[in-house]
Amino acid sequence: MPQSQALRTGRVLLPAILFSLFATLVVARLVQIQVFQHEQYAAAAHNELEATNTIYAARGSILDRNGHLLATSVETWDLYISAREWRDSLVAAQAANTISIATGLDINSILDSVEGIGFGDVLIARDVPYETGLELIEADVEGLITLRNSARSYPEGDLAASILGIIGTDNSGLAGIELFYEDVLRGEPGRVIYERDTAGDPIPFGLYIAVEAVGGHDIVLTIDRHLQKLAEEALDAAIEAHDAKGGAIIILDPNTGHILAFATSPRLLYSELDLDDPEKVRLLRNVGISDLFEPGSVMKVITAAAAINSGAVNPDTTYIDTGSVIIEDREIKNWQDNIYGEQTMTEVLQRSINTGAVFMAQEVGVLAFHNYLDAFGFGKPTGVDFPGEATGLLRKPGDSDWSAVDLATQSFGQSISVTPLQMVMAVAAAINGGRLLEPRFVRATISPEGVRTEIALVVVGTPIRPDSSAIIREMLGKVVMESGYHPAEPDKYTAGGKSGTANVAVNAVYDDTQIISFVEFAPLDNPEILVFVKIDENQDLLTGTAAAGPIAAALLDATLTYLNVEPDGRRYVEAR
Amino acid sequence: MAAINHPYAGSPQSGSLPRPIGDINRWIVLAVIIAGVSALFPVLQNSSVTSRGFDLQSIEQEKLAVLGEISLIETDVARLTSLPRIERRAGEIGLIPSFDPFYVSVDVAGPAPAKIPAEFLPGPAEQSVGSAPWWRSLLDWLAPLN
Repeated sequence: MPQSQALRTGRVLLPAILFSLFATLVVARLVQIQVFQHEQYAAAAHNELEATNTIYAARGSILDRNGHLLATSVETWDLYISAREWRDSLVAAQAANTISIATGLDINSILDSVEGIGFGDVLIARDVPYETGLELIEADVEGLITLRNSARSYPEGDLAASILGIIGTDNSGLAGIELFYEDVLRGEPGRVIYERDTAGDPIPFGLYIAVEAVGGHDIVLTIDRHLQKLAEEALDAAIEAHDAKGGAIIILDPNTGHILAFATSPRLLYSELDLDDPEKVRLLRNVGISDLFEPGSVMKVITAAAAINSGAVNPDTTYIDTGSVIIEDREIKNWQDNIYGEQTMTEVLQRSINTGAVFMAQEVGVLAFHNYLDAFGFGKPTGVDFPGEATGLLRKPGDSDWSAVDLATQSFGQSISVTPLQMVMAVAAAINGGRLLEPRFVRATISPEGVRTEIALVVVGTPIRPDSSAIIREMLGKVVMESGYHPAEPDKYTAGGKSGTANVAVNAVYDDTQIISFVEFAPLDNPEILVFVKIDENQDLLTGTAAAGPIAAALLDATLTYLNVEPDGRRYVEAR
Repeated sequence: MAAINHPYAGSPQSGSLPRPIGDINRWIVLAVIIAGVSALFPVLQNSSVTSRGFDLQSIEQEKLAVLGEISLIETDVARLTSLPRIERRAGEIGLIPSFDPFYVSVDVAGPAPAKIPAEFLPGPAEQSVGSAPWWRSLLDWLAPLN
């Protein structure tokens, strides 16, 4: 039987043409996409596949000089709610209840924060403790999103808060050491570039480029936590005892410029921090560094140092005190209008005679005296590693409003405004052999690998010679120890010091309002510690010697005992 | 279909598939097996890689969690050794502030510092025993020629 053949027909032609057209379109489109638009789609696919994550660096910790932790970062969680998943009120209520139980947040406030929001993620809590966050993750709460964060923890509570400062919600320093050393503490964030799947997870062994985060350095302060606590407690007790407005206590190593304790009042307290309260925000500045005051008779130490070093006087040079001196029709008097007669320069310091200070300054000479003020660091920053330092104010020869009266008043610490830190560093230079040092809050940094780098001592200048410094020490020793009893003589150590009682100008008029102070160092021959006590506007109107002196003495005894320095004080030696 | 239903005259009666011809079928079978295994291998490898990848992610998460716990523990240690806590605990167990220390000076030299136990010291440095390896000797011998 012959094979039959298919008959040709025109009805096949139309579908064939249509199919061919369709195929041509498809091929053309493929060519367009894969050939002409290849780069565009490849880039789009690349962007779709590729994801970037920032790896945040761990912020460095802050330690005291002995390695005790003062500030460190801990892991926390920020909690977000996916509003879309909480559209179901039952789901929302159950989830909110779980979150409320774990975090202590009010359940209604959680629900209210998501109320009316259709899409997006809503932040409901920041810096939730780490364990709490883990509990919520394990509980797999519907609609809850947890993001890692970190928060600053202060194991010592409010201790040294005004020195440490604070950080913001972006973990950047806003005040204090946290701000000044932000570039050291912050570290370098890392980056990860990777290919991700549709779920957003990294594709194993796909493209993966990682730049590791470099953790921040730890900072070792010069502050000793025990001495800081002593200073803060002593200051608070003094303010209460003398009904004062505030004050400062500084404990310094005069040979290195290391600040061992720096207590101020009013001061920042973490337990009372409220950035919505302008009064609390003002406490972010450190009054011992940012606020100025007229130092009063403590300045006579500098005047005497200038006079001794210039050779204008020696400790036994005498002058006749008549109780006052007239300069350009202005009468400058001694405290309580005392008249002392013939006095030596040492007695000028012992009795804090204003006219004696004027005598010394006049003997030095106007320009030379101001050169010494400049050499001792007045009128310019000390260079301390802390933000917001004030430079101080003083009129100088050549200023349009300067007069000879300024020379006189500046010699005993009026008409010149300084910060407590400036005053301390100047006195330290006068008694440590004549070296003006840059004060330091930080002594070393420690890298994430554990490499410790000490910060070198900086000598700003040498305002006086070592022999002049020895003479000043001896003179100041006679201020504290020559009389049978002096309120500022330590029990266990030889010491030297000077008081200050400065009137405060209120509405450009001096009245009874005063700032009292006492600066003291010990041991006398080889000073290891310098203490400065300042009390503002004490209502009992006691002098610097009577009120601040005993505090300085007690702190010297306590500090040197703590540092295991053998006592050499006459009271101690006699008692043995 | 016509070819199947109408075989050429004289051809053997058909109605069933050809019988396997020994050698050719074994080779085919072998080829199929090899191809199958070869095809299966990347699948298994990919699966293993993916599993390892998820393991790595999991380990990374564990590492982050452990690092977080370490920082929490360090903070806890700092808090437990903080001055306020030490003071409070000292008061609770009946300690009182110390009186002034009494300093005693003596002319006798202090005792020698305590020796560190051997297990905390680094091990003795390894000393080379015998001659250098033959390849080093050869290099040393060749060195003058260079």
